[in-house]
Amino acid sequence: MRVGLSWDLDGDDAGAAWEHVAGEAVAADGLGYDSIWVSESRDDATSCPSPVLWLTNLARQTNTVQLRATRRVTRANPVRVAEELAVLDVFSRGRAGLAFAAASEQGVPAAQVHETLEFVTHAWAVDEFRYRGDFVRFPSHTPDDAPRGVTTPQPGGTYVPQWDWGPVTPDFLAITPKPYNARPPAYAEIGDDETLAWAATRGVSPLVVADTPTAEAIERLIRYREIADAEGRVRAEIEPVLERRIVMDGRGDEFRFGGGSSELIDEIRALAAQTAIAHLVWRRSSPADGDLLRFASEVQPMLQA
Amino acid sequence: MEFWTGAFGVTKMRTMPSALADGYDVFVQDAINAEAMGFDAYGAPEHHFTYDGFLPFPLQALSAAAAKTSTIRLVTGAMLETLYDPLEAAEHAATLDVLSGGRVVLGLGMGYRPLEFDGIGTAKSTRGARLRESMEVLRLATTHDTFSHDGDHYRYDDVSLRPTPVQRPVAMWLCGGTTEAAARRAGTAGLPYWLANSPFERVKVIVDEYRKAGREAGWPDEQLKVAAFKDIFLGETMAEAEMMRQVMIDSFYEEHILGYGYLVDDEGKHVYNPTPDHPMYRRFLDSLFCGTVGETVEELKRYADLGVEAVFIPSIQREIISTQIMPEFK
Repeated sequence: MRVGLSWDLDGDDAGAAWEHVAGEAVAADGLGYDSIWVSESRDDATSCPSPVLWLTNLARQTNTVQLRATRRVTRANPVRVAEELAVLDVFSRGRAGLAFAAASEQGVPAAQVHETLEFVTHAWAVDEFRYRGDFVRFPSHTPDDAPRGVTTPQPGGTYVPQWDWGPVTPDFLAITPKPYNARPPAYAEIGDDETLAWAATRGVSPLVVADTPTAEAIERLIRYREIADAEGRVRAEIEPVLERRIVMDGRGDEFRFGGGSSELIDEIRALAAQTAIAHLVWRRSSPADGDLLRFASEVQPMLQA
Repeated sequence: MEFWTGAFGVTKMRTMPSALADGYDVFVQDAINAEAMGFDAYGAPEHHFTYDGFLPFPLQALSAAAAKTSTIRLVTGAMLETLYDPLEAAEHAATLDVLSGGRVVLGLGMGYRPLEFDGIGTAKSTRGARLRESMEVLRLATTHDTFSHDGDHYRYDDVSLRPTPVQRPVAMWLCGGTTEAAARRAGTAGLPYWLANSPFERVKVIVDEYRKAGREAGWPDEQLKVAAFKDIFLGETMAEAEMMRQVMIDSFYEEHILGYGYLVDDEGKHVYNPTPDHPMYRRFLDSLFCGTVGETVEELKRYADLGVEAVFIPSIQREIISTQIMPEFK
């Protein structure tokens, strides 16, 4: 199991809050944590509306840790979402991944999240293409009678270098640059039933975030697994992610794991056996939640084997 | 006068094959070197959907550079502001401003490639007006805890920018090319103006026009600031300098400057792939300054005397520029 970190961003001073997170991210990189996650948010003075921009900064302060951005579809242009993640992937030499927040959290139809994720993953993978959906249209002049989803140009025709095109708006465009990896990891938060079923059917890795009670998280991940298995998805292609709060040497509750190292190991391993999670993300509220070095020494290795 | 510099686009050039990831490493190292050499700002541009992977998000590359530098300012040159929602652009700028400790400088252009507007999904026909309105939104967002804006193209009601940037407002320049109409519009709006490459005589005409419009609109002189892109090619002889220029023409300009409608004639029409005898091609060649160190110092002193606050020079021959030219202006 991979183990990552995410953070609550509190306080009045974004500079100080972000500096603390960056310090822990750099420490996590050195201690062998597998990932750091930053979510797009705009609620507080310390919120980060541009997680990919921040992760690009962190990419240059770290060497191996995976960089995961959780985006929202409400403000971001899908073209830019694809481009930004690709640039992060190149800057980090293949350490980038993208998750989308639950539609219910964003107040948008679930289909908008699904379309955006489908569009972005195709943008990384194919060259010239167009896309027609209910929420995404690329290029913008794509006609109503174009086939739904992704289409690519018919083979043939004379090749003309792009700089010789002149003042044109081609029917098919390539989004560039391409990511370092052919397929950066992509995740959907399965906070609504529609997305849970869609992601399990398509083999999109599920993410359950920290504000979901553990019992509900387990139920969702099990349901996801049952649908994915019924659809014949290969388990190796899917990376279920569970974000939890953890209090080392403290008391757990319906949202949090708590206890000494051995208790945490037992609790997390039991949950992994139930749900097949492949990635645990420790949502940190404060340094008092537990020492990164101690967790990396006593708990993390026991979750990997 | 300040010296700014930066990358051509962090691309995978046909004439200089290399891995794009290596190019990104070079970009960051280049920013480190520029800081050590005493440059005042390091920049990155923006283009989309290009075959060579041109950087689509300059603030993102500058965020990588911010992690490894500490004093050099981080300038977009140009960020195609009309391809962003202005509040979203403000969020990106504020994010990098926090990460870099207040080192962001926004050079904002309106874009010119039709396929970029079509691909991103925004209108090209209104780009000039949207750029100026967008800069007003950026100013409001970065100076007020909460603001509203009801313009011709953008509307916001009681919104707050999170996080609050270190600079209030974030430094901004309008990258407006070298047409007199654009200079007049920038002057009338009182926006700091960043000219494209042009021969000095043309630069003087544009700067005079910009300041005249600004003064007529009632803006104080200190607000009517001017910066200029200035591509310089050095040699011990003119032939050597012109050879350096030819390398860049072959590897970059032929495609990115001549091929996508970047050049605009005096009637405001885009020129695509001009022939070598086309007046715009000749004007473009003349804008690429070739000379010895001494001739270059003389040329740049004309810019300083004109009141140009900063020149942005390309990413070649920086060591000579930093050791033999910049000291003449400090």
